[in-house]
Amino acid sequence: MSFVRDDLRPVQRRTAILLLLCAAAFLILLGRLWTLQIIQGEKWQRLAESNRLRRLPLEAPRGEILDRHGEAIVNNRPAFQLLLFPEEIRNHEESTRFLVNLGIGDEATVRERVARALRASHLPSVIADNLTWAQMAAVAAHRSEFHEFEIHQTTRRSYPLGPSAAHLVGQLGEVGPEQLGRQDNLRPGQLVGRSGLEKAYQNVLGGTMGNLVVMVDALGRQVSKLSEEKPLPGKPLRTTIDAGLQRAAAAAMAGQVGAVVALDPHTGAVRALLSQPAFDPERFAGFVDHNYWRELLANSYKPLNNRALQGLYPPGSTIKPLFAAGALADGTRGPGDTVFCTGQVHIYGHPYRCWLAGGHGRVDVETALEVSCDSYFYYLARDAGLERLAAWARTLGLGRPTGIDLPGEVSGLVPSDEWSRRTRGHQWFAGETISVGIGQGPILATPVQLAVAYAALVNGGYLVRPHVVTAAATPPVPVGLPAAVLARVRAGMERVVNGDRGTARRLAALGAPRKAGKTGTSQVVRKRDGVKWRDLPWEQRHHALFVGYAPAQAPALVVAVVVEHGGDGGSVAAPIAGQILAHAFGDGVEVSGGENGAHEDSWAAPPPGAGNRRESP
Amino acid sequence: MSVRQLDPWLLGAFLLIATCSFLAQNSTAQALDSPGFATRQLVWLFLGAGVVVVLGLSDYRVWARAAPALYALSLGLLAAMLVFAPLRAGTRSWIGFGSFGGQPSEVVRVVTILLIGLLAAEHRQRRSDLAGVVRLCAVVATPMVLIALQPDLGVSLTYLPILLAALWLGGLPWRVWTALLLAALALAGAAWLWYLKPYQRERVLTFLDSDRAPLAAGYQQRQSRIAVGAGGLTGRGLKSGTQSQLRFLPAQHTDFIFAVWAEETGFAGAGLLLAAYATLLMRIFLVAIAARDRLGAVIAGCVGSWLAAQTIFNLAMVLGLAPTTGITLPLLSYGGSSILATCLGLGLVQSIWRLRFANA
Repeated sequence: MSFVRDDLRPVQRRTAILLLLCAAAFLILLGRLWTLQIIQGEKWQRLAESNRLRRLPLEAPRGEILDRHGEAIVNNRPAFQLLLFPEEIRNHEESTRFLVNLGIGDEATVRERVARALRASHLPSVIADNLTWAQMAAVAAHRSEFHEFEIHQTTRRSYPLGPSAAHLVGQLGEVGPEQLGRQDNLRPGQLVGRSGLEKAYQNVLGGTMGNLVVMVDALGRQVSKLSEEKPLPGKPLRTTIDAGLQRAAAAAMAGQVGAVVALDPHTGAVRALLSQPAFDPERFAGFVDHNYWRELLANSYKPLNNRALQGLYPPGSTIKPLFAAGALADGTRGPGDTVFCTGQVHIYGHPYRCWLAGGHGRVDVETALEVSCDSYFYYLARDAGLERLAAWARTLGLGRPTGIDLPGEVSGLVPSDEWSRRTRGHQWFAGETISVGIGQGPILATPVQLAVAYAALVNGGYLVRPHVVTAAATPPVPVGLPAAVLARVRAGMERVVNGDRGTARRLAALGAPRKAGKTGTSQVVRKRDGVKWRDLPWEQRHHALFVGYAPAQAPALVVAVVVEHGGDGGSVAAPIAGQILAHAFGDGVEVSGGENGAHEDSWAAPPPGAGNRRESP
Repeated sequence: MSVRQLDPWLLGAFLLIATCSFLAQNSTAQALDSPGFATRQLVWLFLGAGVVVVLGLSDYRVWARAAPALYALSLGLLAAMLVFAPLRAGTRSWIGFGSFGGQPSEVVRVVTILLIGLLAAEHRQRRSDLAGVVRLCAVVATPMVLIALQPDLGVSLTYLPILLAALWLGGLPWRVWTALLLAALALAGAAWLWYLKPYQRERVLTFLDSDRAPLAAGYQQRQSRIAVGAGGLTGRGLKSGTQSQLRFLPAQHTDFIFAVWAEETGFAGAGLLLAAYATLLMRIFLVAIAARDRLGAVIAGCVGSWLAAQTIFNLAMVLGLAPTTGITLPLLSYGGSSILATCLGLGLVQSIWRLRFANA
């Protein structure tokens, strides 16, 4: 071979440099290998695990809500959800576009939901609810492109009673971040009770989520099931509600704004609880429909408010039995004491009108209740003074929450001089006491408070705690009213329905059992002479109230009805209560409304030139 | 002439790598559900071992003499392939009958190295003439361009370290290196603008800025790092790496085969394999230093540079230190042509070692 051996040293030197470079490169690679495998090994192992393991939440079906006879008020039906595994997203834009095309919401909604899912990092989030078959097919068809989606069968709330039980049952909503932090059995996107029974008994109804751990391959296909932790379904909730009565209440209140509370006066067990206008609970059963939510918030009738617990109304004449009982009990009035009603009284130099322009003539306490004589109670209020009126109202549960086992109850208002100075900045005026005597002015009660107060009047004098599920652990508190006083007041209330001059005497036509109660009409604006309430704009009409009970001899049900701007207690609220009581006691007789009877505060014949009864001195 | 005249270090490292290669391919074959991959790799490795021994026992100088003819044949073949080779996965890089065949571009590399060695030996006295440099560049660039036109950028790029090594060993002065560096930068810029496809640009950008599209283009590298890191000290066991077995790892039998090995055998196995590669490459450079003549020194130096560059770039890519380029790992990655080419190179190096003291 002709390849001569010349001086190779320069080549060898340069080769040695290459060798050193190569050795240096390998040292770097070895260092990198050490870093990845030994120093950061655990981190990468965790990532490999999250690559292959998927924890699928197994949602626990919420417990059914049943009425006292076991009829479902809320139950469940199967539904399909779309789960998003945020860590699996490969291309945000494409995923977002896919979701938008799927029709689960507009782009802004989708982006917001995806962003929220991302904050929950390694846990899957519910991104869409109540999928249609077409949507499920589309997700299945694009499985290989979008590994981050998973269809999940679950259950969804169903409401046999529809909107009529909306406030009672309450709505569901997605669990909020702060609640998520407090309770570790909750998961992002999970629906929890936001109001009503769903909220109050979330712990009973909610159950415990389960877990399914599966191994998936890079295409998101389930390879094997590693472990399964079965969900614990929520427990059924047996309530004291009577579904039939609830339906009857809704039917009787159809088209009205207001509330109904019906309860057992002896135990406080609520049989019906209605607030109108209502919302459609179905639209909260899955993801909140934001347009619907905004619509509800913007609605001037505030359909989200539960008026039975949150509506504040001047009780009007429905306060009279409370004050009558108080006055008889402490001797402010004797059973035989009378007042001569001329249709107008003068106290502190101011005229106060009775609702009946011609006057009621001589009335004792029973008659005063029967005909709802204002004059009698003006004098009573003057003689008792604010402090005693307030004490009587408080004794019967006004001015503080009743403690019903539903969220959001308000206290109402029983005034005092101290209250006046604190919130209004001026002292209490004596003339205001006279107005409070007929339930007007700064005295406010909720429908459930009225029902509880009347329950105490008719159950032998015990203040019960109203409840939909759990009764109070402590026995009812005696309010300290003697049996004779209670009998007298009840006799007056029986005459409201059954007396010849009773303001709710139309209810007598309903027949057995004998009913009793008290009408009320509370002013919203000052009365103008010569104007019938039916000619006033709706928002200026009076609130119509009636609190009644039956059977009169042995009361088993108290019903409080408030119709906002209904006009007149006797002709509007009483027939509604009558219809509910009629349903409760087995006859379906309709009680007609209209002006065919005596109307308390009916403006049919106002006395000419009379002053205003709410005038403050 | 005996096998015992061959370098035992080089042979030992080769056999260790070949064993790892079969085991890794056996794992990935299960993951990809293609048992044929492991079997074929094993056959090629055996054939490769034969090539190393046979070539090692031959005289590299004979092959160098034939280099011009082989080179001409190779260029003709590469040119003809641009027209006649079947289009597979978008390139015309493969020829053969039925399923038997291969990628000539891999083997042509060895022919090119032989020719470079021949040129270097013949022009030993004139250290730095421009004509020599131009000739060298032309010898390497011609097949590179033909291969790049197939288009197979990955294989084409593996010719670049050979050219650089040839120039370096040929004694090109520093000022020329500076000029070359500038030219390379200009070329890279031009390639960026006119040659690279958008996905290739994206790969480079993704590497330079790992926050860029972390879930799209960075996916492969991320999965690779997860696989390597999850291996820990002792690995998850052969055929038990979840990253490969559940197919999170992309191109796992070719570009990312080292990640499979690292995940399943951990630092123990991956470190051992790294040591085997280091031994193999160091040994090749030592053979170059020990060569009896300039021809042997240049051939071994070029083979060493080629294999070192390809190995280091592939490992850097798998370990997340370099962008994803489609460069395979010699001997470990699946592929008969690549194994054959590597073994041809190793065989020549063995021959150079065996004949280091030869006088004629």
